[in-house]
Order: sequence, then C-alpha cells, then structure tokens
Amino acid sequence: MSAFANTIMKPRYAILRQIVMLGIVLGLWELAGIYGYLNPLYMPRPSAIGVTLRDLFSDSKIWVHMQATFTAALLGLALGVLAGVVFGILAALVRVISELIEPIMLVLNAIPRVILAPLFLIWFGIGLGSKVALAFVLVAVVIFFNVFGSIRNIDRRLVERVITLGGGRWALIRQVYLPSVAASVLQNLKVSVGFAFTGAVVGEFVGSSRGLGYLIQFAQSSYNASLMMALVLLILIVVLIIFAIANQIEKYLMQWR
Amino acid sequence: MRVNNVSLSYGGEPVLEGASLQVGSGQFVSLVGPSGSGKSSLLRAAMGLQKPFAGTVDLELPRSDVGILFQDDALLPWRTARQNVALGLRFRGMGKQPALKKADEWLARLGLEGFEDRYPRRLSGGQRKRVALAQVLALEPKLLLMDEPFASLDAIVRTKVIQDVVHLVEKERIAVLLVTHDLEEAISLSDVVYLLSQGPRARISQHYSIPIPRPRDLVRARLHPAYAPLLEKLWNDLSREVEGTPAEKSARAAA
Repeated sequence: MSAFANTIMKPRYAILRQIVMLGIVLGLWELAGIYGYLNPLYMPRPSAIGVTLRDLFSDSKIWVHMQATFTAALLGLALGVLAGVVFGILAALVRVISELIEPIMLVLNAIPRVILAPLFLIWFGIGLGSKVALAFVLVAVVIFFNVFGSIRNIDRRLVERVITLGGGRWALIRQVYLPSVAASVLQNLKVSVGFAFTGAVVGEFVGSSRGLGYLIQFAQSSYNASLMMALVLLILIVVLIIFAIANQIEKYLMQWR
Repeated sequence: MRVNNVSLSYGGEPVLEGASLQVGSGQFVSLVGPSGSGKSSLLRAAMGLQKPFAGTVDLELPRSDVGILFQDDALLPWRTARQNVALGLRFRGMGKQPALKKADEWLARLGLEGFEDRYPRRLSGGQRKRVALAQVLALEPKLLLMDEPFASLDAIVRTKVIQDVVHLVEKERIAVLLVTHDLEEAISLSDVVYLLSQGPRARISQHYSIPIPRPRDLVRARLHPAYAPLLEKLWNDLSREVEGTPAEKSARAAA
C-alpha cells in the first residue's frame, strides 16, 4: 500500500490526481442532488447538465449560435490584432501619433472595456457589428501596448549589429523590428483569444438574436440553470480548444526562444 | 586606420581627449586602458555609431571593409547560426543560397560544423562568440575592430577562441584594433600596444612595439624572453596612469 501511495504521489501523476479530485467533487455533487440536498432549479446535477449539453447538439440549432459567436470573436480578434499592430508601430515610431493615441489607449486600458457594450449596441445595432466592435476594442488595446512596448524596448545591440554588418533601413525593419512585433503578438495570442470571446459573448447577452451569449441570456430569462451551466461548459471547452491551437502556433513560430 | 586627435564625450561628460593612434595594414594593435577611459567610445566613433566631439577618425578604407565585434555579442535570436552569419553577405547583395553556403563554410572554419541550424539560445557562450566572429569574418574585412569581445567567456574557452582568431587574422592578413583592459592579452597578441590614462579626459599616453615574432601562439608568446620585461614596464606605466603621479594624487585627495 505504501509503495502504491509513493508512486501515486510522484509529480508526474499530478494530472491523474487532479482528475481523481474532479471525479470526487462531481460524484459528491451528483449524490447531493440525488439525495435532495440541492434544489435542481438552482443547482442541477452534473448528469442533468450533461444531458442538456447533449440535447443542445442533437438539436442542430446550436451550430447557428456557435457560428455567430465564432464569427464575431474571430473577426474582432483579426481586426483588433491588425489595428493594435498598426497603431502600435506608428505610435512607437512617430512621436506626434504616440502623443495622440497613447492617452486614448491609457483610458481604454484603465476602464473595464466591457462597459462599452450597451453603447456599441446603440451604435452598431443588434447584429454582428456591435459584438465585433466589443471584441475588437478588448483585443486592440492589449496588442497596441505590447507592440508599442516591444518596439520602444528594442535591443539597441541588435540594431547596431545590423547597421555595422551593412544593413539599411529595410534590413532593420525586416530583421529586427518585424520579428520583435511578431513575437509580442504571438506572446499575447492566448490573452487576445480569451478577450475576443469575452467581447463576443458579453456583446451577445447585452442584446442579440443569436450566439452563445444570446443562449445564456435566454437561459437566464427562462430560469434554466441546467442550460446555463451547459453553455458555460460549452464555452469553456471551445476556448480551451482554441487555446491549445494558439499554443501550438506560438510554439511553432517561437522555436527560437 | 588613423585616429587624429579625437575627443569624445559620454552623456555630456568628456571621457577621451586628444587621442591619436594608427593601425597599419595587417597590423595587430591593442589599446589598453582602465574602465571608463573611452576605449569603447573610440571604436563606436570609428564605425559612425557615435560622433566625436573633436578630431577625426579616418578608417582609410571603405566602411564595408571594416568589421566590428562588441563585448556582448548580439546575434538575432530569431535567426539560426547559419542565417545570422549569412546576414551581412545578404546585405551586400549576395544571393540566398551562396550566402548560406558561405555561412556554412565559415561556421565550419570556426569549429561549428553541425550547429548551423541552432538558434543562439541553444548555443553556449563560446559558440555564440564564434558565430558572431564568423558573421564578421565572412565579410572578409581588411580591418577588424574588437571591443573586449572575449570578456564574457571563461578562461579556457577564451584562450581557444582567441587562438583561433589570431590564426585567422594572421592568415588573412587582417589588421586589428583590439580594445581591452587585459594587459597580458594585449602584449601576447599585438604588434603595437597603446596605453590610455584614467578617465575622465583620458589621454593616450604612450605606445610600445612588441618584438615577439609571428605566427604567434598565445601561450608560447608569454614564454618569449621579451615578454616579461615588457609586461613589467607596461604594468608600471599603466599603474602610474591609473593612480596618477604623486602630485596628481595629492591634488585629487585635496579635491
């Protein structure tokens, strides 16, 4: 027994221990539900949540909602990264532009940006636009500051090295600046993906006719805790999958680190 | 290369005043001085990275024939050893394939065969230094400026890298200006050693010819009969420069 205990406590079995722990928590939760300690209206059993999740997929309507959320999140992500990179570079290289943009970005960085959701709803309507706008603002500010910082803090030695080897302006951009910018974007890819989905979902439950955020809003208004939890679980799974993909991209492109 | 009466300032403070020296073709010249005497600034001025306060630095060569190695090597972290070495060749308009091929040849000459595809992070300090050397030597410079390039290496690796550099430099007849605070290294490597006094307002005080024959071997050079007396003389002169004359010392104490 003690030999088994020693083996199971080894660091490399951490994942196993975590799974066992999760199993115990879910088991106790299920039992508490079965024996009536939990009101299913507020706290449905894990098995009930599982069934709800399965029903969401058997009824193919879920795909429309997932497509809406993905479209908003990925569009917001792409536009946010693009704007963050462009303005980050401009601000780092042109003083006048940094004087104009930096205060705006600082204010946007200081406030919880999701409070802009109702405003965007008024401006861009109940459709895709307001969700993309929210995801965009969340992502663009993060990328802006990281790109801005990466150029401002560029290693002088690398710049001098390229110059003394005979490299001109274009060589500096291609060999030093662009890789630095790419690195700062990739390092923030996961945070940005998270923000993009936050923007899309929050935008949806503030006002929309489809999307995972819309379904959560619907679950709330119909007091359906089981549906709510199934949706939270679904979003969790989706974001984890995208994180894993982002991780692989980062790993591949950042081999040099 | 000729340095004429150059004065330099660093952050508004004058560090070097009225320095003159020259490096003949194929000559190995060292500039020895204490920290803060403006040695590095002089090399930076030579490459146009810093503007001299007064005087001129005349390379007597096109800039493209001059290579420079700094104390802290700065290889591009996102390029492999091979790509780093090919960099300067590409800047000079060489095609991609020939440049990479030549990079491989230089890496091999510096004992880095098999490491061509490694990123700098995955190389040791000595290996990185060799890549930086290959990067510069691949451009076939006629003059090599070095700013304590081996200071960060441990003693054994350092001796081996320096030995390889000396061989290459002697073979390719490359003129060298080495800036260092290591007197022994300067004497065993150089044809001429210049001494620099303590900054601020450092001056080049004297220069000495080193009559040890070439090709040099770093260890054997130190066994040459001329070595020990030279070292003693230069060390005495350098100590005087660092501490100052008794009169200067008392003046400093009074201030």
